[in-house]
Amino acid sequence: MALRTSAANTHKARSSLLWRLHIDVPLLFGLCALMGFSLLVVYSAGGESLALVEKQLVRFGAGMVVMLMLAQVSPRTLKEWAPLFFVVGIGFLLAVLFFGESSKGAQRWIDIGVRFQPSEIMKLAVPIMVAAFLADKALPPSFKHLVISLALVLTPTVLIMIQPDLGTSLLIAASGFFVIFFAGLRWKYIVSALGIAAILAPIMWYFTMEEYQKGRVLTFLNPESDPLGSGYHIIQSQIAIGSGGLYGKGWLNGTQSQLEFLPERHTDFIFAVLGEEFGLIGIIILLAIYLFVIWRGLYISLQGQDSFSRLLGAALTLTFFVYLFVNIGMVSGLLPVVGLPLPLISYGGTSIVTLMASFGILMSIQTHRRLHSA
Amino acid sequence: MLKRREAIKDVGRETSMFFVRCVVALVIVVGLMGFLIAREFKLQVIDHKKYRTQSENNRIRVQPVAPVRGLIYDQTGKLLAQNRSIFALEIVPEQVGDMEDTIERLRDFFQIPDERIEKFLEQVKFRPKFNSYAIKSNLTEEEVAIFSANQHFFPGVSVEARLERYYPYGATLVHVLGRMGAITQEELVRMDEKDLEANREVGVTRLRYAATSKIGKLGLERYYEDRLHGEVGSEKVETDVRGRIVRVLEREEPQAGQDIHLYLHLGLQQKITELMNELGARGAVVAVDPSTGGVLAMVSQPAYDPNMFTGGISSKDYKKLLTPERPLYNRAVQGTYPPASTIKPHLAFIGLKDGVITPNTRIADPGWFSLPNNDHRYRDWKRWGHGATVDVMQAIVESCDTFFYDLSVRLGINRIHEGMTRFGFGQKTGIDIVEEKIGIMPSREWKRAARGEPWYNGDTVNIGIGQGFWTVTPLQLANATAVLANDGIRYNLQLVKEFSQDNRYQSNTPVMSYHQINTGDGSWLDLVKESMKKVAEPPRGTARSAFADAEYVVAGKTGTAQVKSIAQDEEYDATKIAEEFHDNALFIGYAPFEQPKIALAVMMENAGGGGSNAAPLAREIMDYYLLEALKPEQSDELTNDEENSDGATN
Repeated sequence: MALRTSAANTHKARSSLLWRLHIDVPLLFGLCALMGFSLLVVYSAGGESLALVEKQLVRFGAGMVVMLMLAQVSPRTLKEWAPLFFVVGIGFLLAVLFFGESSKGAQRWIDIGVRFQPSEIMKLAVPIMVAAFLADKALPPSFKHLVISLALVLTPTVLIMIQPDLGTSLLIAASGFFVIFFAGLRWKYIVSALGIAAILAPIMWYFTMEEYQKGRVLTFLNPESDPLGSGYHIIQSQIAIGSGGLYGKGWLNGTQSQLEFLPERHTDFIFAVLGEEFGLIGIIILLAIYLFVIWRGLYISLQGQDSFSRLLGAALTLTFFVYLFVNIGMVSGLLPVVGLPLPLISYGGTSIVTLMASFGILMSIQTHRRLHSA
Repeated sequence: MLKRREAIKDVGRETSMFFVRCVVALVIVVGLMGFLIAREFKLQVIDHKKYRTQSENNRIRVQPVAPVRGLIYDQTGKLLAQNRSIFALEIVPEQVGDMEDTIERLRDFFQIPDERIEKFLEQVKFRPKFNSYAIKSNLTEEEVAIFSANQHFFPGVSVEARLERYYPYGATLVHVLGRMGAITQEELVRMDEKDLEANREVGVTRLRYAATSKIGKLGLERYYEDRLHGEVGSEKVETDVRGRIVRVLEREEPQAGQDIHLYLHLGLQQKITELMNELGARGAVVAVDPSTGGVLAMVSQPAYDPNMFTGGISSKDYKKLLTPERPLYNRAVQGTYPPASTIKPHLAFIGLKDGVITPNTRIADPGWFSLPNNDHRYRDWKRWGHGATVDVMQAIVESCDTFFYDLSVRLGINRIHEGMTRFGFGQKTGIDIVEEKIGIMPSREWKRAARGEPWYNGDTVNIGIGQGFWTVTPLQLANATAVLANDGIRYNLQLVKEFSQDNRYQSNTPVMSYHQINTGDGSWLDLVKESMKKVAEPPRGTARSAFADAEYVVAGKTGTAQVKSIAQDEEYDATKIAEEFHDNALFIGYAPFEQPKIALAVMMENAGGGGSNAAPLAREIMDYYLLEALKPEQSDELTNDEENSDGATN
């Protein structure tokens, strides 16, 4: 019934200019709300620097352009190009491993005229590829298809993990698994996978994790053990959030951020600035906007005309949630410090463009539907 | 193949399964968001107080604010010690990454001696790292400009203006005011402990010296440190993560120290200094107001400029002060000298009072004295003696040694010691200067303790002319003179007359304000004073030429102290002995005779005879004080007197 009602709405909206531009208005509204919030907080966290706000605006602009461009591409085309997209991405990842530039102890960058992180491409390429692969198969996927899907997910994940870039590799793994989940992965597999993960965790700890990653986890478990070293970030961000109280200290009045006690305040830890200056009320408003965006993403996916659209749309939406959950969990001291920005709020980075690209795909799914039987 | 698979695809079932999965996903999303909100609720509502406190502790620091030191004025209200802004190069250790490197680079711009750096590093080691410490003081304007242009190379280093003590009259008053110096670790601990002790009951824990870097090291600055210092204030400041002060949130003003008002007369002090400088004299002059015990002038020469010590003196400059003339040495309070003949009036008074002599006692003076059964001759300064009938008055006027040899032997050391102690010898004068020495008023006990020998009669003979073991400070001598002028009342000498704070005045009340000597019916003292008057008069007074035609009546006594003992038959000849063995010239006196306004003691090292060298200086000092300094209030009276006397002669 929900499907029918929305189809009727769609019919009405079809005639509008925005529809012809392949723009979903409610989603655009949610994204703009987040961007506005971002500019407000970046201005405060950056020490009232308009230069930072301008740069952020430029990135949002670029993100909008990329979103619009991808919205024009029909899901069918996307699906056709998926294998090429994926293979090129894997090629770049291999190139990074052998020729990449390192920064802060990790090899993440590659320079081919433009300097970029191939792992960003994979954030889209992996879910698109897995969705394209599973879309034509009978669902829930057979064991064989499941193994192939897992290979598609884990190959880039491992390549990125050894850069090393734990945060991005987890996100990519998540985006791939979400496709499989929405494809109807049987609950018994999910439960046993979780069981295996619980067994594997200590093994990973001893054999595959880098020292700095172990350090982050240890610090997360007991930040007071090293209050001026690696625990400093977590302690200061919790002080910032906690001291904000219910209503916050007011915009531009957060002492933790304005007096620079809070590190990385306009990038990864921007949520703490928000919490300090806008309080619990501000946080709830932010989460409400996020929830609205996620609801809209799932709603669009539900209306997707084919399996590819549905699987991809829902997976991208849920990946967006993982982004914000990991970031907020980290800044609030619930999760270890992982270098992930707060989506569409944190200052800078390629992440904005990638995120906007995924919303472009969602808009494309919404606006490239053929008319249902009404 | 593909087609076969597609045939198996059950679109309806897939769609409803997808719908279920979406609902599950949404439930999980909402659940996890609820979890996040619960977490923020814990941080922002339940634990809010704890985090608010931590956030305040991060940014708010309470720092002490140094009080302004009290000022020092002379009796006429002239400012003798003030506080002046000077520029200093200061370092906040906390904000400096590599201290050694920073100092090394600073030395490219400024000359900073090694010992200053050592001192700085020692200071920094024990005090809070977020405070600012001076590494170079007294920056010139040019140096301030140079640093300002290069400041960005030196995080944590800045030029600060701070108040430093300044003495406008420099060397003239250094031996009165003393000087300030950097507070040492031991001093700091001592002051802090004292502070904690004093405030234990009140529960005040803030330390008075928390923001203070200088402390009184000598003189009045040291003696009145407590009053001059004031009470520390505090400032609540907001700082950023690097400890830089963003703004002041609250301020509790420090309370300035008390101002001090002296009995001292700056003009007189300057006049004496000037006169001594003209003579190139080493020595001391102390002038007191006999009616109060207030010190009018206290000069010790040579002296030095205490302003050199502001912000630390270089070892080169300090070495310049370590000359044989010893300018650092405060002769007025620390110098101990044989009083020589200046104590003859006091000895005469003791003799009269104890009935050993009467005004009519006469002795024959052949030019020497000897003890019974001993052929050692104690010679009179006058080789041929003062005649066959020397009485006590003549003995004082002409400073007859033989008379006093005889008198001292008859009195004996016990009675001399007891009598002289009443005049304040061998004791502190009570002056408000910590460094005061007491000299030696010898006694049998003293000699046994100090020398391990019994007292001999020969020792007593020398005491009779103020030589031998007896030493006094110029301060004691001036006070003993004031006792005569003041009919037997001995006040505690004081430099400070009163204190003031916010226009509230409080007079200085020493613990023991005065002692009264029993003067009987007053006739003994009158005789002694009359004799002292004649010292300054023709025909035979030893100071008659110095005080010829004085416009006031003066009572005095000269003294000439042997520094080198002279063999039995040797003649003293100044031209033949090295200067450091020349006689010390002394003079004590007071004036005007009837209503004494000034009593003084002059002590000049190696200057020769007291009558010819010390007395003329005393004359000029008294002329200045009585005829110029006090003139405004007495001018009418004096001019009237002059007219009268003119009329009489005409």
